[in-house]
Amino acid sequence: MADDRTTLQRLWAVGCSLKLAIYAASAATLLIMGGSLAMNAHPRIFGGMDGTTINAWFAGTWPSAPQLTWWLPLTALCLLIFGINTLCCLLDWLTHLRARWRKTGEYLIHTGFLLLLIGYAWGNLAGFRSGPHRLAPGETLALPQLPGYSLQLDSFTPDFSPEGRPLDMVSAVVLLRNGNEVARGTVRINHPLLHDGLVILATSLDQRLAGFRCFLNGVGTIDLAPGSRVALPDGGTLGVLQLLADARQAADGQVIPMGEQLGNPALQLLLLRPDGSLWQGWYFLREPPPFELAAAGAAPRPLQPLAGYVSLLTVNRDPGAGLALAGGICLTIGVLLAMLSFYRKRRRGDRPQI
Amino acid sequence: MPDKTIFYLLFALYAAAVCGYAAHAVCRRTWLSRTSLALTAAGVLLHSGLLTQRWLAAGYLPVTNLFATLFFFSWALALTFFYFELRYRLGATGLFVMLLNLLLLGGALPRDQRIPPLIPSLDTPLFELHIIFSFTGYAMFAMAFSLGVLYLIQARIDSAALPDLGVLRRLNEEAIFLGFGLFTLCMVAGGIWAHIAWGYWFSWNIKSVWSFLVWLFYAGMCHAKFVRRWQGGVYAWLSIAGFGVVLFTYLGIGLLLESNHPLE
Ligand code: HEM
Repeated sequence: MADDRTTLQRLWAVGCSLKLAIYAASAATLLIMGGSLAMNAHPRIFGGMDGTTINAWFAGTWPSAPQLTWWLPLTALCLLIFGINTLCCLLDWLTHLRARWRKTGEYLIHTGFLLLLIGYAWGNLAGFRSGPHRLAPGETLALPQLPGYSLQLDSFTPDFSPEGRPLDMVSAVVLLRNGNEVARGTVRINHPLLHDGLVILATSLDQRLAGFRCFLNGVGTIDLAPGSRVALPDGGTLGVLQLLADARQAADGQVIPMGEQLGNPALQLLLLRPDGSLWQGWYFLREPPPFELAAAGAAPRPLQPLAGYVSLLTVNRDPGAGLALAGGICLTIGVLLAMLSFYRKRRRGDRPQI
Repeated sequence: MPDKTIFYLLFALYAAAVCGYAAHAVCRRTWLSRTSLALTAAGVLLHSGLLTQRWLAAGYLPVTNLFATLFFFSWALALTFFYFELRYRLGATGLFVMLLNLLLLGGALPRDQRIPPLIPSLDTPLFELHIIFSFTGYAMFAMAFSLGVLYLIQARIDSAALPDLGVLRRLNEEAIFLGFGLFTLCMVAGGIWAHIAWGYWFSWNIKSVWSFLVWLFYAGMCHAKFVRRWQGGVYAWLSIAGFGVVLFTYLGIGLLLESNHPLE
């Protein structure tokens, strides 16, 4: 029988073909199945897949392991074909809506799937993933992927069970744009701060040196941390400017931070004498105090380090998340409609045959 | 370890139902299938009660270890079968599904049934929805698997004790469709949860990847029933293969990862 359809009509028929859908979905399934075996056998290569967007991960991994990652672009191609196929099928349904409105549930499922595909592609192409970032209360983190934006941690309160199991990590954060607040919130486990595609999450916590408990003649036991001020018996004041857990003094006298682990701790102090004169300098706690401090009788003797917690925060941006959520809602409503109308439609016997 | 008598009683109820269905398959007495249905109903009731009691005691749906998931899966499967049995009076068809159910419950019983403390990241209703829809979906796929096997048996032996091929085919399609619907809800809840817990809604972690494969496979099966040449036999084989994918996703991945990376 001669086929007198135009090329466009034939193309459209291929686009709407259920067989094409089955082939594309089967190919994607087999590729991912094979790929997952590679993922399982090479955790070192595939372990970081969630730490960054999939395209960034692929661009970084492909050159060193093409033999293990070739299935990924092929899967993307199959899913693209599958997506176009779903779109054609959906448009075809829309053009026959009057006769096929009973299938609204089924086609909401198709719409949901399409939105998920687009949301995933968009989120990965235009978004980023960063962190976890270590932030101590009071610190601010610049977000280089979003010029002008920074994240400030106001306070951090970990919550432990009586047995010491971490239960929650509560970070009060402020999102700033060019120094101005654009969003503020409390970030806890399963409660991120969401703002315009940004997701700010509590990932973990860590300990860090927060200060030192010291003994000061004439004053007693005091806790010194950045910002502390101590009134001295002679009317002077001792203030703490900075604390470094591990520091080294270079030949030119400059003090260089060496790391977060407790090593050679140093306090930068400010001494305001009763006569109004000022001294500012570093006190390496493992060494004798600077002469000026000792002479003023204001040299604290370190007793023990004080631990504080830092928050480990993840900052991701997924501009496709809203679309994906819309897809999820379409899927949910579609599934409920299709399930509720299943028996009635089966009684009517309306189903396509290929 | 706390007393397990009540769990064994549950097992005994289901086992008696299986015996009843087996006897019914042989001697075809209505009272046998009725008694089996009553035993199944009693089992489902007791199972639901135990699950509710554990849920209330824990303060959250206890599905965080293998005992609990097998116990929940078994409940979902018994409920699924009960639904089909009430709707269609399948009789001997129940033999196979309830045997599978016994395997699940039997797999759970030797394990520790104490409820572990909840990991903070699981403390969200999204997790509960995710699990409920996942296992009710799995139960439908298990039902479809049983119906697929019965279809193939019936196609060979043409027994009067089993429903005819047309009925088995339709029921298989129904189980697949309902299972796909439930599993879709599981994926949606899981995606939203992942987004708020990790900041991305699809993870390339191997379990999530295989869950996506389960979903894709059964979405494919929702269409495969329209291919005339595949209706019946091919579809039955696909239901069996699909359940293989489900079992691998649920149990196999843990074992595979363990065998490859004992230290992970
Ligand atoms: C890729 C291209 C796709 C095509 C061409 C396609 C085509 C179709 C067609 C023609 C139907 C029958 C509707 C009717 O009964 O009139 C259908 C049903 C359905 N489709 Fe798709 N579809 C595609 C993708 C998908 C995807 C990705 C999903 C799920 C994620 C999906 C889920 C469903 C479901 C659940 C049904 C209902 C099955 C039933 O009535 O039992 N489809 N599809």
